[in-house]
Amino acid sequence: MIYSLLVLSCPTSGNCTQTAAAFAQCVIARGHSIHRVFFLDAGTYTGAAAAVFPQDEADRIKPWLELAQQHAVELILCISSALKRGMLDQSEARRYEKQASTVHPAFTISGLGQLVDACANSDRLITFGG
Amino acid sequence: MGAVDKKSVLVVVRRSPYGSSLARASLDVALAAAAFEQPLRLLFMGDGVLQLLAKQESEAIGVKNIGRLLTSLPLYDIERVYVDAAAATRYGIDLSNAPVTTQALDGPGIHQLMTDCDHVLGF
Amino acid sequence: MTVILHTLNTSPGSAGFTDCLRVIAAGDALLLMGDGVYGAIADTAAGATLQASGAEIYVLTADTAAAGVSNLIKGANHVDMDGFVALTERFTRQQAWY
Repeated sequence: MIYSLLVLSCPTSGNCTQTAAAFAQCVIARGHSIHRVFFLDAGTYTGAAAAVFPQDEADRIKPWLELAQQHAVELILCISSALKRGMLDQSEARRYEKQASTVHPAFTISGLGQLVDACANSDRLITFGG
Repeated sequence: MGAVDKKSVLVVVRRSPYGSSLARASLDVALAAAAFEQPLRLLFMGDGVLQLLAKQESEAIGVKNIGRLLTSLPLYDIERVYVDAAAATRYGIDLSNAPVTTQALDGPGIHQLMTDCDHVLGF
Repeated sequence: MTVILHTLNTSPGSAGFTDCLRVIAAGDALLLMGDGVYGAIADTAAGATLQASGAEIYVLTADTAAAGVSNLIKGANHVDMDGFVALTERFTRQQAWY
């Protein structure tokens, strides 16, 4: 089956975003494919390039990078949610004349059309929030 | 997306209009689905019914007016809008004055609405 | 007919819990994760309410372990992440309550 995920949860608030990453890894392990992971609202913080995690805690971005690098999973940050949270890739940083891009290159900034497309083209749309 | 790729989506709205960014996010999703001509239904329940209060003046806090956004839903052909009747009553919402026309549902009606859709997005 | 998989990650005092119970019906499944696992603690009003819904109740094991409630749960099936995915294979739609 084809899965897409909608991630709304803030990666540093509770462990819902981590659960989403572990869920995605398990979806693939069970032989399904992931069409797209769409991060919206506070979920867009997941793509923070400069996040630093304490040594005695889990690295919260690493599972997503593994999904992108090992399984070619598309990680999309919703542009309107991302921008107002200071999550800018290089092109948006240039466009808005901000000093630095803040999004890890494994993530792409795009519009809600990508979420709508994910709904249209997936057998399962799983939402993670809170 | 081809014309054959039509999956119906239900957006479940449970937040008050200005206390959480999720209220605006859920409506943006609904508008995007409509813009791409994907079948969409919208359900207001829990604190989400507070978005149906008339005379919201969000300019006072410098954010977009959710009530005004809701009045534009029919312009985007979003007509299947539902509300949890009990939640509206609990908050004393006058649905006849709401920014958008809604169809009132009870608990089993909400369950049926969810099972009628291919995907449910909970906000 | 497989109906709805509900996921709940907030505790029994939350609007998520109340709203979930407004809708959940026999034939559905409910996966408690994050703070949702507290809803399945034995001999609580919340636990009884969940049982009365007629839905299949599940708890995510990593979260029950974190919360220290693994041995306090009653009336719920313990599942790991693999079990979570298996639930999504069975149920065609998921409603996230939080």
